[in-house]
Amino acid sequence: MEPQRAAPVVFTGTRLGLGAVLLRGYALMVPTIGIYRFWLATAKRRFYWGHTELGGDALEYTGTARQLLVGFLMALAVFLPLYGLFFFLSTQSTVTAVIGYGAVAVLLWFLSGYAAYRARDFRLSRTLWRGIRFDQAGSAWGYALRRFLWSLLTLVTLGLAYPFMAGNLWAYRYRHSWFGNRQFAFEGSWKQLALPYYLAWLGVVALAILALVLFVRSGRLDSPFAGDPAGYLWLALPGAAAFVLVTLYRAVEMTRMFSAVRLGAAALTLRITLRGLLGQYLLFGLALVAAYLLLALGGAVVLGVVAGEAFVGGGIDPGRLMASMQSSLVTLLAIVFGYLLVFAAFAFVSELFLGFGFWRLAARGASVTGLDSLADVRARAEDKALAGEGLADALNVGGY
Amino acid sequence: MTIAARYHDGETAAVHDVHLGYERLDDGGTLLIRRAGTGDVLARWPAETLSQRPARRGEMRLASSAAADGARVVVRGDTEIGRIGATLPILAERRQRERGRQVRLALLSTLALASVILAYVFGVPLLASRLVQLVPPGWEEAIGETVAGQMEAALGDAGGLALCDPDPASLANRAIARFAAEAMAGTGAPFTLDIRVVHSDIPNAFALPGGRVYFHSALLREARSPDEFAGVLAHEIGHVVHRHGMEQLISTAGTGALIGFILGDMTGISVAAGLGATIIDARFSREAEREADRFAADLARRLDYQPAGLAELIGRVGQDNDFTRALALLSTHPLTGERLAALSEMGRERPPGLVPPFTAAEWRAIRAMCDGPATKSKP
Repeated sequence: MEPQRAAPVVFTGTRLGLGAVLLRGYALMVPTIGIYRFWLATAKRRFYWGHTELGGDALEYTGTARQLLVGFLMALAVFLPLYGLFFFLSTQSTVTAVIGYGAVAVLLWFLSGYAAYRARDFRLSRTLWRGIRFDQAGSAWGYALRRFLWSLLTLVTLGLAYPFMAGNLWAYRYRHSWFGNRQFAFEGSWKQLALPYYLAWLGVVALAILALVLFVRSGRLDSPFAGDPAGYLWLALPGAAAFVLVTLYRAVEMTRMFSAVRLGAAALTLRITLRGLLGQYLLFGLALVAAYLLLALGGAVVLGVVAGEAFVGGGIDPGRLMASMQSSLVTLLAIVFGYLLVFAAFAFVSELFLGFGFWRLAARGASVTGLDSLADVRARAEDKALAGEGLADALNVGGY
Repeated sequence: MTIAARYHDGETAAVHDVHLGYERLDDGGTLLIRRAGTGDVLARWPAETLSQRPARRGEMRLASSAAADGARVVVRGDTEIGRIGATLPILAERRQRERGRQVRLALLSTLALASVILAYVFGVPLLASRLVQLVPPGWEEAIGETVAGQMEAALGDAGGLALCDPDPASLANRAIARFAAEAMAGTGAPFTLDIRVVHSDIPNAFALPGGRVYFHSALLREARSPDEFAGVLAHEIGHVVHRHGMEQLISTAGTGALIGFILGDMTGISVAAGLGATIIDARFSREAEREADRFAADLARRLDYQPAGLAELIGRVGQDNDFTRALALLSTHPLTGERLAALSEMGRERPPGLVPPFTAAEWRAIRAMCDGPATKSKP
């Protein structure tokens, strides 16, 4: 067989385009008391899918807001009892509460594996390319249990078991994925992850030890909170180095694992670079700082107008602010609105720089060989059993 | 009309380059999908089965309810899209109808959520007081213990809130216990009151679930008559009798769930719930204050002492300097104009010169309770 030409994945979306979708969505979330978020999530996916093309054909997201809404209502049925349990625990003695919270957190961690798998299933089964749907089989509970046990093992071994866990879970996800009647295969394994992972692991441990030694040497051990907190700034250096190491590992893992995905004779190649990932984080950080500076300025001006009495000698008196909140509806509304803005600004900036950045990075680094071999893939019946990804929505594990 | 397009038949993943044609028939038109080059007709999609699927700008994706689920005709270019739109006005109609459906669904869900919120805001004071009846008193007392531990750690200096007079058999403590017993008589409340006069520079008094009431020495110093002391004490006992602490816990939890629902974060761990909940719950606590005021007034009537004392003491603390004001009685018992008016009204109904709730000797002993050095409170 002659070597096949690689068809690149093309992404045609712009940050401006996504920004418009997001702003419109946030604006409509106010009069709909938040209900519009299901439509926003749908619009967002249509944006990402519709601007991603392979071999001249764009993906199509066929899911609807109604499906997400129904799924969310179903997830409520799971969460209301959990919420009741939380409430009951919060009224118990401290020891019981801590143990109980711990147990609920473990349960949530287990459930988040289930939710993530179901969410992936939902998205794949609503992704259309060249008239054929993707799909995911396998058992979500099985995946959740697998992930849960692996993560326990990883915890116990101080992270040393991670490459095995990652290899296993990547393989499980892709070996249960389908495009029409053709099943995906996965050629990766822990062997491709072990070396970079353990090197990064050693690096992070060495940095932690270094930081600890420096800390002890500095003589602050006896009274860690005394003195100038700026004296701790140097601790940021090993922290930043560890962050770069972890990011480097993530880039390697994604590159090697995505590049191990096969679909019959077609093979995916994906290259994500450290520079690309770091650049994204840097942009995100800068944008977030800028957004919050802007909000803080605007907020101070607005509060000065509606609750001027709370400003005493250049500072804000929280007591007076509370009193002003209780007595003045305008102050209250301003604070609620400001609070929502802070929330929205974070979501906006992270979607625009992390979500969009990552999608574009992955799409630009991806190409597929053997695309022609897919021409005879046939359609399978649609997986209609999935009502939304409400659980994922409720657990906040949804990415795109 | 011949327009170049890509066609996916929805059966296989093959790509067909096609030319679109339009055939006008008596019972409506048909979209003809012809293979580019040869001109073979690959498919005929009747116009009334066509609909448009979401696509990026500059691209049009057509589907047909008569064809396979995933079958699509994809057209690129604004002029081409414009021509199709002109030929097939049904597409715009369909789009409009689909839009209407989405708007209706969003509107309906918004209305549903709004009614849930309204029902909640007006229903929860009622619901919470019903639910509270279901909470076993033993459980509430255990909660009170927990909260007391937290409060003492937060408010007290080092060793918690120190009791002014740890001897339960002293004249002052006996007098307070007698007053408490009289207050509780006939209320049917399942709790034993535990009234603690404690050392604290913040003029305040508060009640916890399960029957414990704290009265700060700073507030006692402000009281000029036994009526005033008894008034505030009765108000706090009112909170205990009506189980307001428990009620508030339940409504706070409910509010948190609701806010979580609105923000779509049912894990509820987020800070989000915090502020929103505080704001909604302020409403409930005002209702609770009114109820405790009524209890205090009824008690004054029953025991025949001057009910205006409560208003006078709260009013006097309110005139103090701003710092104490922010921290003290008013932050938990905001004295709105309306409430002050209601309290004064209660006072006016009563003739002057009623019997004070404590004898002169008892009142002297109570006033002197906190003059001694602070002793550690019992654990």
